[in-house]
Amino acid sequence: MSFTSPLFLFLLPIALLPLMLERHHSRAYSWLDLIPRDPLSDIVGMLLKVLAVIALLFIILGVAGPHSAQQKIKKVGEGAQIVMVMDRSASMDDPFSGASNGRAGETKSTAASRIITQFFGQRTSDMFGMVTFSNSAMYAMPLTQNREAVQAAIAAAGGAALFQTNIGSGLTMGTSLFENIPDSGSRVMILLSDGGGRIGSDAQQKIRDWLNKLDITLYWIVLREPGGLSIFDESYKPDSDKALPVEIELYNYFKTLRSPFHAYEAEDPKSLAAAISDIDQKERKPIKYYEEIPGRDYSQHCYFIALLMISLLLAVKYLEVRTWH
Amino acid sequence: MTPQKPAMEFTYHIGWRSRGRHPGRHTSAQTGLGMEFRNHAPLISHPDPRRIDLRQTLRDPFEQVWVRVFNQKSSVPVFVICDLSGSMGFSGHSRKLDIASEITAAAAYSAHRVNDPFGFIGFDDTVREDWGLIASNRVHGAMDIAERLRHYHPAKVGADGLLGVSDYLKRERSLIFLISDFHMPLEALERALTPLVRHHIVPMVLWDAAEYRSLPDFGIASVADAETGARRTLFLRESYRERILQSFEDRRAALHQLFMRHQMPPFYVENGFNADDLSEYFYQFVAS
Repeated sequence: MSFTSPLFLFLLPIALLPLMLERHHSRAYSWLDLIPRDPLSDIVGMLLKVLAVIALLFIILGVAGPHSAQQKIKKVGEGAQIVMVMDRSASMDDPFSGASNGRAGETKSTAASRIITQFFGQRTSDMFGMVTFSNSAMYAMPLTQNREAVQAAIAAAGGAALFQTNIGSGLTMGTSLFENIPDSGSRVMILLSDGGGRIGSDAQQKIRDWLNKLDITLYWIVLREPGGLSIFDESYKPDSDKALPVEIELYNYFKTLRSPFHAYEAEDPKSLAAAISDIDQKERKPIKYYEEIPGRDYSQHCYFIALLMISLLLAVKYLEVRTWH
Repeated sequence: MTPQKPAMEFTYHIGWRSRGRHPGRHTSAQTGLGMEFRNHAPLISHPDPRRIDLRQTLRDPFEQVWVRVFNQKSSVPVFVICDLSGSMGFSGHSRKLDIASEITAAAAYSAHRVNDPFGFIGFDDTVREDWGLIASNRVHGAMDIAERLRHYHPAKVGADGLLGVSDYLKRERSLIFLISDFHMPLEALERALTPLVRHHIVPMVLWDAAEYRSLPDFGIASVADAETGARRTLFLRESYRERILQSFEDRRAALHQLFMRHQMPPFYVENGFNADDLSEYFYQFVAS
């Protein structure tokens, strides 16, 4: 049992006031010694004070906000710890040029969030985390079991996009979500972007170390415009005076990772769904995790008890003698 | 506060001989111009030729001249000793101090009518000198006191001053109306009465029906003692009411017994003061 604002507990002595203060509006009687003692009356008199004390006590307790401590329950489930790292750059607001599924105008980001929602809906025991990035990474959701929060985070990622693509910062923040979380044995980071971005060599080294240290499998889903450049195109040769396109450069870098890596290309929502379901198939290992159960708030109960006491006092007030003579 | 009623008059007499020299209406031990034959005295020692008893003179073989001697009628000091303790502030059907005021006015007026000096002594925890009135034949001082009583709100004090009251009384035997509700321990009362027994005391017991007889039938009441300030919660109900009534009846019996032991029949005032009842009291209890 702990309190939200324990400072209010210093007010507790106030609850004893009814014991010390006498009622102000009692009527004068000539000689009380002449009235025989009556145990029932004494009990009633004491009871009135006790009622007042209890009412005050529970009001103060209620204000202090008692709640039970939050508990952690160990759960074992099938699934993975999945962190979505989602590109929110401006190009994600463009539609897939394909017109499959009758959703001609669906932008990449909405399609992604729709399909991820489906994916997430199938995996009931996974832990999800979410990071979005454009110019820099945005911390959206830590790894959690709270499905509503994750749904909301995914839905929020479908909104209007921002500037550019900074994959490096998205990945570093994505890996950082796994820190301080016990390893369930299946750690997955899904990077969803529509193209590449350059990662500085410092960041490259850092990402490589972290992915390795934290044992994270990286899946990269590239949303590609049909007919566009494919990262799997081995034969692509750039013009001699130009550098390799960023996607291919990034792909080559990912291939150098010591941790497992898979890349997918999606040209339309259907191929995106296929990629996701492939990941779904691969990541089915039992995981152990701790579920946090928030403490119960007892202030309502306190107020209810106080209300009960006060209504009893009011009932007694109604019984009070008004016409003495 | 009720407007002051005109002072009522009652008649009173005493069953003993006054020693007062001032002429009045009461049987006296003083010789003087009266109707009550006392004895014969020789003219030499009692030179009052108007009262020569011819028959006694003729019958005397030593031929002395005899004079008849009479007792005069004398006045008797009348005192009201009034309890000013907290309980006298109790206001039920009427305020106790209002009734005390009526009694004071009536006693002062009645005393004035028969030329008896009237004095007043008030007491609470001590004898209140600011409430004292030296016995005199001037009635307006007493009327002032009666008026002051009607406006007085006693503090939370007891009635222990009754013990010291005898120091303020005359040495001469007086008629004393002791006005109180006698809400004090019986032992204290008995101790206080002992030095007063040389006077003629009429205990006037002021109780109010609201104190016990017309209590509410049912309910919870918080009451505070008018003298000690102690508070209690009363859960009034049929059985408890009867116990309170019984307690008051016991108290009345105990008080009655105590007063009768000192030969002071008490006079109960409960539903307002009626002067005729007091006259009746004197006819009933005091041999003339």
